[in-house]
Amino acid sequence: MSAVTPRTAAPAQTRHRGLRVVRWTFLSILGLYFLVPQLAMARFAFQNVPVVLLDASTLFSKWSVSSLLNALAQPALWDAAKTSAILAALAVVLDLALLLPLAILAEIRAPRLRPVLSALTLLPWVIPPIALVVGVAATFRPVAPWFLTSTLSLVPFYAIWAMPFTYRALDSGLRAINARTLVEAARSLGASVPMVLFRVLVPNLSASIVAASGLTAALVLGEFAFASLLLKDTLPTYLVNYQRDSPQAGMALALAVMVLTALALGAVVHMLRRRGLGMSTTGF
Amino acid sequence: MTGTNLVAAPTSRATSAGVGAATARAAVVVIDGSTGSTGSTEGIVGMLGRLLGGRKPNAATLAMIPFLAFVGIFLVWPMAAVVVKTFTPGGRFGVSTLIRAISGPYQSAFENSLMLAGASAVIGGVLGLALAMALRGLDRPRWLRPTVDAWSSVASQLGGVPLAFAFVAALGTQGVLTKALAAVGIDVAGSGFSLSTLAGMTFVYLYFEIPLMFLVVVPAVGGLRTTWREAAELMGASPLRYWLTVGGPILAPSVLGGMLLLFINAFSAYATAYVLNSSGQLVPLAIRFVLQGNVITGEQDLGYALVTWTVALLVAGLVLMNVLQRRAARWSRA
Amino acid sequence: MATIEMIGVRKTFGTTVALADLHLRVESGEMVCLLGPSGCGKTTALRLLAGFEQPDAGHILVDGEDVTRVSPRHRGFGMVFQDYSLFPNLTGRQNIAFGLKVRRKGALETAETVDRLLAVTRLEKHADKYPHQMSGGQRQRVALARAIATEPRLLLLDEPLSALDAQVREHLRDEIRRLQQEVGVTTVFVTHDQHEAMAVADRVAVMRDGVLEQIDPPRVLYSRPASQFVAGFVGTVNRLSAEQAVDGAWFVLGEKVEAVGDAAPVTADGAAVAADAPPKHAVVRPEQLHVNRAESGAGPVARLVALSFLGAFTRAVIEHPTEGLVTADVLGEAADGLAVGDAVAVSVRPGAGAVVLQ
Repeated sequence: MSAVTPRTAAPAQTRHRGLRVVRWTFLSILGLYFLVPQLAMARFAFQNVPVVLLDASTLFSKWSVSSLLNALAQPALWDAAKTSAILAALAVVLDLALLLPLAILAEIRAPRLRPVLSALTLLPWVIPPIALVVGVAATFRPVAPWFLTSTLSLVPFYAIWAMPFTYRALDSGLRAINARTLVEAARSLGASVPMVLFRVLVPNLSASIVAASGLTAALVLGEFAFASLLLKDTLPTYLVNYQRDSPQAGMALALAVMVLTALALGAVVHMLRRRGLGMSTTGF
Repeated sequence: MTGTNLVAAPTSRATSAGVGAATARAAVVVIDGSTGSTGSTEGIVGMLGRLLGGRKPNAATLAMIPFLAFVGIFLVWPMAAVVVKTFTPGGRFGVSTLIRAISGPYQSAFENSLMLAGASAVIGGVLGLALAMALRGLDRPRWLRPTVDAWSSVASQLGGVPLAFAFVAALGTQGVLTKALAAVGIDVAGSGFSLSTLAGMTFVYLYFEIPLMFLVVVPAVGGLRTTWREAAELMGASPLRYWLTVGGPILAPSVLGGMLLLFINAFSAYATAYVLNSSGQLVPLAIRFVLQGNVITGEQDLGYALVTWTVALLVAGLVLMNVLQRRAARWSRA
Repeated sequence: MATIEMIGVRKTFGTTVALADLHLRVESGEMVCLLGPSGCGKTTALRLLAGFEQPDAGHILVDGEDVTRVSPRHRGFGMVFQDYSLFPNLTGRQNIAFGLKVRRKGALETAETVDRLLAVTRLEKHADKYPHQMSGGQRQRVALARAIATEPRLLLLDEPLSALDAQVREHLRDEIRRLQQEVGVTTVFVTHDQHEAMAVADRVAVMRDGVLEQIDPPRVLYSRPASQFVAGFVGTVNRLSAEQAVDGAWFVLGEKVEAVGDAAPVTADGAAVAADAPPKHAVVRPEQLHVNRAESGAGPVARLVALSFLGAFTRAVIEHPTEGLVTADVLGEAADGLAVGDAVAVSVRPGAGAVVLQ
């Protein structure tokens, strides 16, 4: 047996320490990258000091929320916000009406439906808003121009882009509650089909439905391309136009929207995690 | 209740998607091509029935019809029209529009979009992977990991108008960070950096690309068992050797898949590009240009071609991603 | 094939003492099992041997050479992990060849060694499969082949059979033993399954709460357990009261028995037993007891409350008026006359061996 020169464990420990430094430096830099733009946004919105005059002495002066208050005082904002809210709500309802029965069927009776649904709901992903808007303009305008004039015409399309994560949320929720066994148990106890649907399945799917709604809301609040190219007035399009006229107030509003969206999504993520639902918010 | 990791599911979802994609497309095309003929309803339903494993149309088949009709009308029909129009310029079949779309003034738009998407995919991919690796096994401070997980889910959706504003506020010509760096002696504007350049836009795109990559690779990185490294170590392998022969190859499909996802995500991003880029030399902006009719007649078809190219690129990316995801899933079952 | 020694090894994790002053010596070519419940420190001991953890105190010697500070890479040990830890991106063949490739053995030599190992573990047909295409048993054998491919000085096995079905487990257990004896590699095997340990080991080390309670060959461990815990861990036991007569003889269940244990030395005059000495108990194995139907009559009766047919014998559980629940094993047809609810008499079988006093 050859003699082994004892290689001490000390070098390994110093290596670990070095890695720790690298790791924390990296995380800090990344943290800064994600934080600074938001802070800059807040500063621009809430501090009435032009950047050229900004230095250590003026750093803490003239802070006010008046810009945000101005933005919120615009009635046009609330019109746009209401529009977006309605669009989001209708999109969610439409999606649930279309996908919930199918998701349930796939889980309970026709397992072969699942890959088909999974693939179909992935289709919206390869057809982004900027692409679909061209097709929509080319097909709907000549055939049914009345359809495109209404703002509500956005609803079916938003519903389509919400499909990837809506379907996955429902599917994930059904798997988590072991829907098949639940339905069999309910049926064996004499429940009718509507009863099974509304008293057994839907209450247990509340987490999935809330998650899907939250993600759809985030989608609608952030969708710009489709709405602007079809000349509709939603919150994102309003934001761009408003900011052009009132830079500071627009920035404050954008920050508010961003914070709200982040909070809503954060709540969704937190809820998904707590309920143990295995799905990704990207829809993959 | 089966509690699964928040992002553990994507792999299994994507695997079934790959198998179903071809069949799904077949079913959908049937509907599209059979408008108007009476005998075709039976054909569709029958096909669906066979798809679902039965001869007779049953509840599942019937339930699919409204859904398929919906997708057909609002998604497939517009896109099919665009593709058809692309391949029939001036009423005859030809690929001339497709070729024109990537030459001339639009050539640089394509090049720019490809470079922007490529750069943000690679850089965002590397940084997202680094983030996942850096957080691996880090339990202190306790709040860090859940915060990053939640933040990634949020930030990956936060592309768009507010994000562009934020970066303008920070690094624009009147940006506060620009001013701060100038005070330290770094002239940002003078060195040619601007948010409207490709480099600047890549920098902005990373904001949602890095979290997206993080979300995609976290399952794979989490799935790297410490026992693999220990086994390799005990057999005499150095850390480098382990990463080259075991760790790297295991992560590769997820990493490549993630980068592909980042690529297709960046390529089709519109809002941020709209706010930041004034020159319009990106494919999504070029599409807008054409759509708004700011072009001479006959150029309208170019818009369709641009869209067809975009969709083709995205489809290719998605299919490739699927193949890679399936590979990765195979190894996680070992 | 090396002699392994752990001297005064101590390991704490935070406030928990995983190992307290462990002394263990494994002879060259020997297979020692570390047996104990979870948390007893057996896995910690194994990981210390491998080098994945460093002891807070003590030394680990291989053939007299101190390897305590040597990194796992340079110890020259082999290990089979609980989850086999096969590299999923490599085939069975490539997994086995991994260690050889690291040591830069030539391609020809590597191929020869790998083929030999595949033959020995009967994996030739599965060599080019990937781990996810193999069954649990196949993966286990690949892991084993991989661990011994580099001719390690010490082979470590971390609960290698716990993830397998019962049937496969028994079969593989014997294969591991066969292989180990053929190759002659010093082996430390960690398990919580006493049947496994008793079946394959040369010596079994029973551990509890970081302490090595007893290390002996299986037969000795079974018949001469050093403590209540060891006795209970390596088989079913009955703890029955034992009384000492004036002449020093011991009685259990009214019968005279041969007794060993700490109370065995008895003074000749019989007066050694102090009046306030604590009552003694005897550890009696189920197979040392005899059960038969009793005539219901005077006095409290023992009642048969459960019968389990276990193939080779039938296990009877009896509710005894003074001793509580007693387990006795009945061989073959002797069980035919018994039924649950019967009044029975339990006694120690003459010539059934010694009972251990505690």
